[in-house]
Amino acid sequence: MSEAARVLATPLRDDPRRQAQLLRALSYVGLFTLAFIILIPFFWMLSTSFKPARGIFVMPPQWIPDPFILDHYFTIWEKTHLARGLVNSTFIALSTTLGEIATSTLAGFAFARMRFPAKGPLFGLLLMTMMIPGIVTLIPTFILFGELDWIDTFNPVILPYLLGTPFALFLSRQFFSGLPRELEDAAKVDGASFFQIYRHVFMPQARPLVATLFVLGYLHRWNDFLAPLIYLRSPEIQTVSVMLARLVDFYVQDWSVLMAGAMIALLPILIIFVVLQRFIIESVAFSGLKG
Amino acid sequence: MIRLRPRLSQASNTRREAFWAWLFILPVTAGFFLFVLGPMLASLALSFTKWDLLSPAEWAGTRNWHSIFSVSVVHTPQARDEASGDLLFQCGRHRNVPASELTDWQRRNDERTGEPFDCRPGYPRDREVLPERFGVVSEVTLVGQRWLLGARDHVLWIALFNTVYMLLAVPVGMALALAVAIVLNQQLRGRNLLRAIFYLPNVLPIAATSVIWLWIFNPEFGILNHLLGSVGLPAEGRWLSDQGTVKPSLMIMGIWSALGFQMLIYLAALQAVPSQLYEAAVIDGAGLWGRFRFVTWPSLSPTTFFLLVTGMIFGFQSFAQPYIMTRGGPGNASRTVVMEIWKNGFADLEMGYASAQAWLLGVVILLITVANFRLARRWVFYEHEQHV
Repeated sequence: MSEAARVLATPLRDDPRRQAQLLRALSYVGLFTLAFIILIPFFWMLSTSFKPARGIFVMPPQWIPDPFILDHYFTIWEKTHLARGLVNSTFIALSTTLGEIATSTLAGFAFARMRFPAKGPLFGLLLMTMMIPGIVTLIPTFILFGELDWIDTFNPVILPYLLGTPFALFLSRQFFSGLPRELEDAAKVDGASFFQIYRHVFMPQARPLVATLFVLGYLHRWNDFLAPLIYLRSPEIQTVSVMLARLVDFYVQDWSVLMAGAMIALLPILIIFVVLQRFIIESVAFSGLKG
Repeated sequence: MIRLRPRLSQASNTRREAFWAWLFILPVTAGFFLFVLGPMLASLALSFTKWDLLSPAEWAGTRNWHSIFSVSVVHTPQARDEASGDLLFQCGRHRNVPASELTDWQRRNDERTGEPFDCRPGYPRDREVLPERFGVVSEVTLVGQRWLLGARDHVLWIALFNTVYMLLAVPVGMALALAVAIVLNQQLRGRNLLRAIFYLPNVLPIAATSVIWLWIFNPEFGILNHLLGSVGLPAEGRWLSDQGTVKPSLMIMGIWSALGFQMLIYLAALQAVPSQLYEAAVIDGAGLWGRFRFVTWPSLSPTTFFLLVTGMIFGFQSFAQPYIMTRGGPGNASRTVVMEIWKNGFADLEMGYASAQAWLLGVVILLITVANFRLARRWVFYEHEQHV
């Protein structure tokens, strides 16, 4: 009996090595098939965005467009404010995230390393915010900003976040609580003020925290939809997401233009993701484990 | 110990620390009072008013809440002819066909379709049975008995039903994510690449992915029907344009978009499961299923709980996806509660009523979250508890 025939003659259940190999092979096939399925929408978007308008109604659909045209990207660039939207989204995401990091880490530091009256109840109260769905506060906040004459300005979508978010506060406190006690003892002996301790002793240790807060805050704010939809009315200040949603009404059935728009809207995040992929994934996993 | 500064009294030290601490937490606390607690209470107060922002707010008492909770369940027996007491039927669009004439009607052809008449038991018109100004939320037929569920604000209750229905995507997606995470948690080549691909849909803006899926679901020229057809499956799905399939369609996209996040969290938790547990299970003769059932699943239960709770809180507030893809249609089949609040508040300027709706949703979410925490005691296993 040859080796191959003997292997085949052995029942699979009696051969753990072959079982493991088979399982691995199946894993590869399954995972790569799923990855391919998950990516199909993006291939489809790309393919459509480079097709002439008539080409999208050809059946069966062409995956590689022929002719391959860039016209729709020019249409988007020239006839819509999407480029402006990219700038606005970047500005909003960047400013809110930086502000949130400053205020949340400062408060997180106080809650983790300082003693003051009403600390426990206050922290509990702030954490409760995480349980309250944002929708409950939507209408009075809208009225408040209306009274302040801030509708159609950046203020309503920036200011609330500048004052910190409960999630960032929670993560900061967790992080600072885990640092060793000796850190501030030495500084206190040297007569450093509490702000100096925060700024020069704790923050330099908090690189992973700051990076995580930055990535999560930035992605979250960039993808925000409801608040920008409500507050940002003029095209000059709208975010790219809201503009794209408006284009759906404007370019009805003009799918190649819409796909070019979707491509432009997701490109900055796609680039950030490809470059910082490992780091972003670790941040999400890190925050999830803490949560 | 050498002190460089003159020793301050203990009391003044404590006071100084408290002062600085209060200063440090000031922005976050101010934000909480200004943008969370304040608006929350204001929202509750507003729910008792009628206010369109143009004229002064009016006190409305409990009218908004009364409207929301004006619901009724009506048993509707088959209609009978008032004079003869005959049961009535409906053939095509002809109402009030008495039972005695039924066989005649069934032999005739419907003038509209040309087919023989389709005769069903006839019921009184919905508005004759329901209280005034009520609309139908749903009709249920149980063992031949027809019940009508009606409400003054029937759209809100339909929206709540839709929202809860679409929450089913959360556990389904989680099961898939767990399976993927377990398979991915081996020494595989290309693992980081796969992980990144699975996670990609989750980082991209929901507005962009919604527009892409709008085109995928297109019944005539979308890729989904084409792909289904090319592997021999029925390719006539109307997807977003059909009341029956619009919710599952949105759920498919929702699972696609959340899968990577759930998988990532599961994967991180899997890597934290101590390998000794698996070794012990193998010694005890556990197979693949046994290891999953007695090691993986209990170890992951806090993660499962976290994903379930956050997924549900997130799902209850679904807005961007149905807003961009269907505007709540066809009919009201994909309208969500937040879309209803948005419409009442920002399109119809019914600030008081929208606040009441928002509070209703807030309370529903809170109750479900609390219930989840209660139930968690039965099935979530925290590692530190095993030593107790």
